[in-house]
Amino acid sequence: MTYNVLLTGVGGEGVLMTSVIVARAANIEGYEVRGTQFHGLAQRGGSIPTQIRFGKKIYSPMIPRAQADLILGLEPIEAARACFYASKERTNFIVDTYPVKPVYLNLLGHIYPSNEEIRRMITPFAKKSIFVDASNICEEKFGNPIYGNVMAIGVALSSGMLPLSKKSVMKSIKETVPGRAIRVNMTAFDMGLKFKG
Amino acid sequence: MSDPDVLGKENKKVVLLGNEAIARGALEAGMGLSACYPGTPSSEVGITLSSVAKKQGFYFEWSTNEKVAFEVCAGASYSGVRSLTALKHFGLNVASDSVFPVVFTGVRGGLVIMVADDPLGHSSAQSEQDTRFYARMGKIPTLEPSNVQEAKDFTKLAFDISEKYEIPVILRTTTLVSHSAGTVKLGKIKKPKTKGKFVKDYDRFYNIRPNLQKMHANLIKKLERIENEYEKLNTVEGNGRIGIITSGVSYQYVKELGNLLGVKIGKLSLTHPISRNFVANFIKNLEKVIVVEELEPIVENFVRGVAKDVNPGVEIHGKDILPRVGEYTPDILLEALSPILNIKKPDFSKHEANLKKIKLPVRKPVFCPGCPHRSTFYAVKKVLGENVVWAGDIGCYVLGIFEPFKMQDFVISMGASMGVTHGIKKVSDQKVVVFIGDSTFFHAGMPGLVNIKTHGTKPLVIIMDNGITAMTGHQPHPGSSFTGMGEKRIPMKIEDIVKSFGIKNVRVVNAFNQKELQSVIREFSKQDELGVIISRGLCTLLMKRMVRAKGGQFSTFEIAPGKSHRVSRLVKEFACPAIIKKGDEVYIKEDMCWGCGVCSQLVEKGVIVPRKRRKK
Ligand SMILES: Cc1ncc(C[n+]2csc(CCOP(=O)(O)OP(=O)(O)O)c2C)c(N)n1
Ligand code: SF4
Ligand code: SF4
Repeated sequence: MTYNVLLTGVGGEGVLMTSVIVARAANIEGYEVRGTQFHGLAQRGGSIPTQIRFGKKIYSPMIPRAQADLILGLEPIEAARACFYASKERTNFIVDTYPVKPVYLNLLGHIYPSNEEIRRMITPFAKKSIFVDASNICEEKFGNPIYGNVMAIGVALSSGMLPLSKKSVMKSIKETVPGRAIRVNMTAFDMGLKFKG
Repeated sequence: MSDPDVLGKENKKVVLLGNEAIARGALEAGMGLSACYPGTPSSEVGITLSSVAKKQGFYFEWSTNEKVAFEVCAGASYSGVRSLTALKHFGLNVASDSVFPVVFTGVRGGLVIMVADDPLGHSSAQSEQDTRFYARMGKIPTLEPSNVQEAKDFTKLAFDISEKYEIPVILRTTTLVSHSAGTVKLGKIKKPKTKGKFVKDYDRFYNIRPNLQKMHANLIKKLERIENEYEKLNTVEGNGRIGIITSGVSYQYVKELGNLLGVKIGKLSLTHPISRNFVANFIKNLEKVIVVEELEPIVENFVRGVAKDVNPGVEIHGKDILPRVGEYTPDILLEALSPILNIKKPDFSKHEANLKKIKLPVRKPVFCPGCPHRSTFYAVKKVLGENVVWAGDIGCYVLGIFEPFKMQDFVISMGASMGVTHGIKKVSDQKVVVFIGDSTFFHAGMPGLVNIKTHGTKPLVIIMDNGITAMTGHQPHPGSSFTGMGEKRIPMKIEDIVKSFGIKNVRVVNAFNQKELQSVIREFSKQDELGVIISRGLCTLLMKRMVRAKGGQFSTFEIAPGKSHRVSRLVKEFACPAIIKKGDEVYIKEDMCWGCGVCSQLVEKGVIVPRKRRKK
């Protein structure tokens, strides 16, 4: 089995840390892990699609076309941008509906699509998709939308879209996030586990 | 993917970034000194080494530029201490003038030059470049890891080869090795040897003829011995009349094609010198051979040469079916190789059609909210207008190339803004403004400015001094207040340096003060003199991180009720990502505002004001 996860969002949204949580959890379960775009320099305000592959034996760090099993879109248009890696036969989507509008929207007169339009774009590429207001919920609850990422991982687990155990993800969160943030992240993860979409 | 992982126990399996694995490899080799200059995608090697240097007891520095960094390593290595420099491909251009002679003299302690190429230019604007040519021009043995485990193992091996044969060794990666993550089984960390002694040796170090020719002949012999001894690093899998020769991450993409019946795969780990014997044996009985390598057809041309002698009839493919530009992906390989290998390719026509239907707004990188560079660009444009040649350079400020500023008319290489400007000024009467960052000024900008001064042209030079090398992840430079070892130091002042060149018109301004900025730019632009403005303001991202790390908060700004319409022009003209337009309303998003206050200076008093409520 090779399981391919594409995690995407915007620089500054904590995409990198979220990817590390998933990669570490897979390592804890004894899988071989490979992935791309794991560098510390979040392109300032640019999109960052990181890829994580885990399984018994992995070669390419990059997911081949249409072979993603899960696209975790921490920002709606970035989720849609990742469709190259998705296919109806194989790919589940979890989309955080919290928009981070590009600055160029105003400058170039582009229009930001509605959630309905995003849904329409990804439908031909999705086996199943869950839209979750994770960042908004976390902004209300914790005063910071950033915990939406970890909540989204919780949703991925409870919906069966990410074949990792709760225990290893929790261990990975503990090893990854700074000490003072462990509790909020655990709460956010738990909220994701209980999410009914 | 953190220091505890990098310093993990022997035999532990951890997930590391390619560059972290290289740093770990250096620890396992007992490296005693490392000197680097940052450059994506190589920077995390230095970042990792810098963060563990004190604890592990070796020396680390961010040198002024790559040439100096390499020379520092050469000095340590001449004195018997193992050393490593990590740089990006353009960094090797800068260092090369010193690298070539050190290959001639040879080294004592193992010396590894880690070079990261960046096909596709994920993080390199200037050009696409293949480092493997340097290996040939400079006669430098080169190892190419194909994944993160090999990145670690080959680093250690590179030290051993270097020390055994007394020659610098290149460890060449590409972005998809350096910036990929992977499971690594750790080896044992060796206590670093940090002290050595330089022993004089006429025969070795006097690279003057006729000794030079003796050294050259000796070097050629060394390479032959290395080619023979390390042929064993290359591997062969499978069996058949079709062969694929590949190396680096391309090997992983070949493996990704699946179980290929009737196909033999040869993987080169030592890509210079390529083992002639290995290639000859590999292609001897083949009908077809495909060479899979990114960028230039270096291995392919080698294989063609060998084939003439051992199997002239073999059909050779390479750049005829695969691109010479950009980066490879598993999909590019599948597309190019499937007809020859008889692999069934999925039909993506419907997939393609559906993708075409997706239309999304672009998301280009932008200056962070509160970035000092945005403020400087804004002020310069406000005062000088459009009819100016904007000389660009390398750093976060290249983002000034995009809207709304479009103030980087050319970007060549670090420090090049100065020389090119001087040339333009010598042949044209146009107004030219130079934008150069502080780290870039130290790196290669200083000789260019000396040249301007000494040959008498009069551009306006703006040094954007944000206190740090920001774009590559905040490494200190001589103008920063701390070192690569994390120790405090007294920063060098750029204004003192510039004045010492005999330049009279030098002024330091606060990058976050529009009034001051604009008035000094106005004053300087009226004078018929060479002027240097140092626009100083700490990188906001760095400052924000420092404040947060100490558990502190910073104040933010908001738009006074009912004043939204007075701000809407800033959305287009200033483009701070925290200033957001929703319908006709404009507001400042609290969690994005970094409180620089510059926007408030661009509108009437009382329109944008410090936010009263504190965050919960
Ligand atoms: C020869 C060479 N070395 C390294 C780099 C990588 N590089 C790109 S931008 C940059 C940082 C420049 O720093 P600075 O001039 O201070 O500008 P800032 O990013 O801080 O605004 C570096 C090192 C390069 N492009 N060329
Ligand atoms: S990292 Fe610093 S210098 Fe670079 S854009 Fe952000 S604030 Fe500006
Ligand atoms: S104060 Fe104004 S310019 Fe500065 S970060 Fe906040 S919104 Fe942007």
